[in-house]
Amino acid sequence: MPAVLTARALVKHFPGVVALNGVDFELLPGEIHALCGENGAGKSTLIKLLSGIHPHRSYQGELFVDGRVVAFHSIRDAAAAGIAVITQEFALIDELSVAENIFLGRAPRRGLRIDWPELHRRTAALLTDFGLTLAPETPVRALGIGQKQLVEIIRAIDKNSRVLVLDEPTAALTGQEAASLLSHLRRLRARGTACIYISHKLEEVFAIADRITVLRDGQSVAAFRRSEATIPLVIRHMVGRALGEMFPERPALATAPPLSANPPTPPTRQPLLAVRDLTVAPAAGEPPVLHQLSFNLHAGEILGCGGLMGAGRTELLTHLFGAWGHRIHGEVTLSGLPYPQPTPRDSLARGLAFVSEDRRRFGLVLNQSIGFNLSLASLAACTVAPGRIDLHAEYARNQVLFDNLGIRAPGQATPTGGLSGGNQQKVVLGKSLLTHPSIILLDEPTRGIDVGAKQEVYARIHQLTLAGMAVLLVSSDLPELMGLSDRIIMLAAGRIAGEFPRAAFSPDTLLAAAMGHPAAS
Amino acid sequence: MTLPRPLRHLALPLALTVIGTFFALREPAFLGSRNLTQLIVEFSITGTLALGMFLILLTGQIDLSAGSGVGLIGGIAAVLVFQQSWPAPAALLTAFIAALLLWTLMGALIVRQRIPSFIITLGGLLIFKGLFWLVIQNSTIPVARGDQENIYSLLTTYHLPAPTGWLLGLALAAGLGWLTWRKRIARSAYGWPLPSIARALSTWLAITTALFALITVCNHFRGVPFSLLILSATAGSVFFLTQHTPFGRHLYAIGGNEEAAALSGIAVHRVMTGAYLLMGITVALTGFMTTAYSGASTTTVGDLMELDAIAACVIGGTALRGGRGSVGGVIGGALIMTALLNGMTLLAVSPEFKFIARGTVLALAVWLDVKLSARASKH
Repeated sequence: MPAVLTARALVKHFPGVVALNGVDFELLPGEIHALCGENGAGKSTLIKLLSGIHPHRSYQGELFVDGRVVAFHSIRDAAAAGIAVITQEFALIDELSVAENIFLGRAPRRGLRIDWPELHRRTAALLTDFGLTLAPETPVRALGIGQKQLVEIIRAIDKNSRVLVLDEPTAALTGQEAASLLSHLRRLRARGTACIYISHKLEEVFAIADRITVLRDGQSVAAFRRSEATIPLVIRHMVGRALGEMFPERPALATAPPLSANPPTPPTRQPLLAVRDLTVAPAAGEPPVLHQLSFNLHAGEILGCGGLMGAGRTELLTHLFGAWGHRIHGEVTLSGLPYPQPTPRDSLARGLAFVSEDRRRFGLVLNQSIGFNLSLASLAACTVAPGRIDLHAEYARNQVLFDNLGIRAPGQATPTGGLSGGNQQKVVLGKSLLTHPSIILLDEPTRGIDVGAKQEVYARIHQLTLAGMAVLLVSSDLPELMGLSDRIIMLAAGRIAGEFPRAAFSPDTLLAAAMGHPAAS
Repeated sequence: MTLPRPLRHLALPLALTVIGTFFALREPAFLGSRNLTQLIVEFSITGTLALGMFLILLTGQIDLSAGSGVGLIGGIAAVLVFQQSWPAPAALLTAFIAALLLWTLMGALIVRQRIPSFIITLGGLLIFKGLFWLVIQNSTIPVARGDQENIYSLLTTYHLPAPTGWLLGLALAAGLGWLTWRKRIARSAYGWPLPSIARALSTWLAITTALFALITVCNHFRGVPFSLLILSATAGSVFFLTQHTPFGRHLYAIGGNEEAAALSGIAVHRVMTGAYLLMGITVALTGFMTTAYSGASTTTVGDLMELDAIAACVIGGTALRGGRGSVGGVIGGALIMTALLNGMTLLAVSPEFKFIARGTVLALAVWLDVKLSARASKH
């Protein structure tokens, strides 16, 4: 049977990063083909190529539909070739009805007017076909997430799409909704629709996929029939890479001197940060997304926090810092003192600093200079009576950090907007350090920065702990997490799925825990 | 592609020169000391309000109620003096406190209740206008009884005696020199890159010359107008606030990236309310000056002044989105707006064309700024 969609030797570069480095992929008619891979393995990039978001000529390699070479210059081209992408962000218009959304831009007409009876009749037929008991007039706003997803799928099918690309379709669904979605997909498969299915949930993949392709570091490293594969085998292919020499050597915690630099060390090491039974919802009255988290963080320690996207890592950090969420129950203590109602201001005053994963949005005032940004959180320290900033003391203080962090720019007066990602990251890190924190929360500190800058950031993080600082490090990059951390907790769906001492680090175990499969080791 | 940076800094002085030359050629009286003194008073009024507006714009907010507020606050003081026979200082103080309360209230509504400032201050524009007309009963209320003078009426009619003007000028020049010198010493002690001595000296000389020229011109007529001192004090305070205090840094940070500012521990709400409170102060000062300048509170006092203030800020390079702008720019912008209006009045241009000309200059200035900054950021 000829493949409906074929990709050959796809290579896609972003500045400083190779996102795809030779991907081959083949989709047969009436097949559900799963794509598996770690965060950053290249799944999203591949989808964006297939759907025309990254246009032809922005990458190397070839795409074939029905055996003929195709060149997608836009999303429209891909849609015309019958490829429909259903993403987590819905392309539905909330204010319009189900019928209007399904037939958006191609509603049946009578003269210049929309033929409403016909529109509703056809919509009703489609909905019945999918077993949905919905009135065609229902506004999309009133639908649940699962129903919205089905409406999008119905629209795609009705536009004669032959290839459905589903990116984490069940991420936001309840178990029941997910099961219903899978049965719809099986019915579509029986009618000959081909489907690319991307999910972190391996049980789901094994429940529905006919074939599985594993991506790693931008390459397609393995392809299996479902009958030939097992979950541990897939995980092994997802992670299988060696750790580089990127990471500073960390002393084993057990043998580390108990901070002899500070003589009066209490006999029982009191954690700098202790979290007990923490349950947090996005807002009051909403269901929690973090469930009963408990862990300790000690001085001089790097505690890694891993997990898949949506596992709750960023939520945990931003909640601890006081920038997100409504605490339902649980307790957070800083050096033994309870900290019930965190705000960014209080956190900084108590020595708790946070470096966001999105430095351009949450970290920097981009139109201002390096010096301005470095100082932003710690102006009080160089303010003299009556509320005047001692500009010279400020400059001198910033300059020490500027040199120390190795920020590559002509000087403090350089605006931050034009700096490279690595240098921006150093500025954000410097801003936090100037508040003299004892605990620093790092969210993806090396995202989007080049290898050299990464190494510098690693070295810097390592130094901080030597000075007695405690680091809670969130990273999607398993080698980074394992290379830096003394201990790792893995989050899965807002719960701690496992805690691992350094001796027990292995990519397979960690990833298995992240996927909720502690048995896979 | 690369535009020489100095061109951006020279844009304001260039525009002023062009405007000044144009009016001087059409009507030599434009540069006469009588007209220039009058221009300085008008400039002080517009400039003071623009400086308050500048603080609001820096945070990315806006205040449309300023013009109505100017009328209202001036009107309250006038009614207290003329109808209630209060002593002028007490009347001014009462009106001043009213302004502080009103602007703190608006700031609190904008910040705490999360109502867009555009809406709240648009409401303020209408409400203050109504209150204003109620307060003055749609009539004309002089700022002083009979032919007497009081602090209120003297705000725009008092001129410093010539020797005092000179002394003040000398003191300012010396003070500026001393500050510059001290800054150089401190900077070199901290290893901060320094501009060359020649450059620092020529900057100081240029400023001093301009200052003395100004005093000479004013002394030719009646002396340095007192309202110029109010503007100078306001400008000095706003400059100090924005460049030398955490509050000022926070204004820039909030306008540049509010989320990052909040995550840096900045009390965003308090800072923004503070900006509105300071706006209240400048509204009161402007209200007193402009009412005194008209001699009486009448229903049209303050009309459209909020737009002149915004225009002055924007012409001076303040970004409406917030986070960018300088006191020097605002002063330059206010001078341009005032010179235009004053010159056109002198040439007896009809009100219709005055509006059209001011609008055109504003649009042109912003267009030019967008062009120049786009090029600057490209290279």
